Amino acid sequence: MLAASATTLPLFAALTACAGPDPLKGPPPLSADVRALFSAVTAEQNLIWIYNRTMASYSALAPALTPLLAEHEAHLAQLRAMIVEPPGRSVPRTVTSKPAVPGTRSAALAQLRAAEQSASTTQLRRLAGASSALAQLYASIAASEATHVTVLTSGSGH
Amino acid sequence: MTATEPAPQPVQALQAALAAEHAAVYGYGVAGAMLTGADQQAALTDWRAHQEARDTLEAMIVKLGATPVAASAAYELPFAVQGARSARRLAATLEDGVTQAYLGVVAVTDETLRTFGALAMLPPANRAVAWRGSTVSFPGMGDGTVPS
Repeated sequence: MLAASATTLPLFAALTACAGPDPLKGPPPLSADVRALFSAVTAEQNLIWIYNRTMASYSALAPALTPLLAEHEAHLAQLRAMIVEPPGRSVPRTVTSKPAVPGTRSAALAQLRAAEQSASTTQLRRLAGASSALAQLYASIAASEATHVTVLTSGSGH
Repeated sequence: MTATEPAPQPVQALQAALAAEHAAVYGYGVAGAMLTGADQQAALTDWRAHQEARDTLEAMIVKLGATPVAASAAYELPFAVQGARSARRLAATLEDGVTQAYLGVVAVTDETLRTFGALAMLPPANRAVAWRGSTVSFPGMGDGTVPS
């Protein structure tokens, strides 16, 4: 009896310690990795929105912008593929920044360049603390966005 | 959430980047000889950039207490370079290799080195676009696609 108590008590303590989250308090907080992925997804959605709106306003830009837009869609798909949705949370699908398309083509391109540059810089801030695989994905997307800035600035080719 | 592979050691990742820079320095010598005019000038500029990057990596590796890998006397080119077109393709391929090697540095856990690797990817990724004339979705990840 004494021996049984000795084994039962720690087990009870363990069960108590492992009690799940209180369902009344809502879903548990997101991990840093998931928070970073969610923000990266939102950033891509915002960029895709600007590209679509810019092409809708300046159809002559479509041939140049379509390949870059396709790459952002590839980034978004890959970022989404890295996420296992935590209970009670779903991957963001809303666009959080909807700037107006400027009134001239050159200003619209300048807005795209600025958005790409900002996205690339922000991507690099996600490296700290990320897993190796995620850090490499962020770095590759940052490099892609940096090439977009160059292409939008001067065209490409030596 | 993601496949977890052990992060590479800093020296190992930097040595791989250095080896890619050595290959680029050699390869631009071959490519430059096949180019003329503005393309040759661009190749010369890029060749110098790789020499500087090589020197930076060697200094970093020495600082970490290791001996930098030496350049090979000669390298096997990935394809025959017989004219300007294949020379431009070689330059783009060299830049892809360097970009990929710096992406390897991003995999280390040291945050300073990780940021160094990510920033070091940007010039070769841009130069690859300049030589190829088109962008890729995922610079540094092999053929530009993410391995599954």
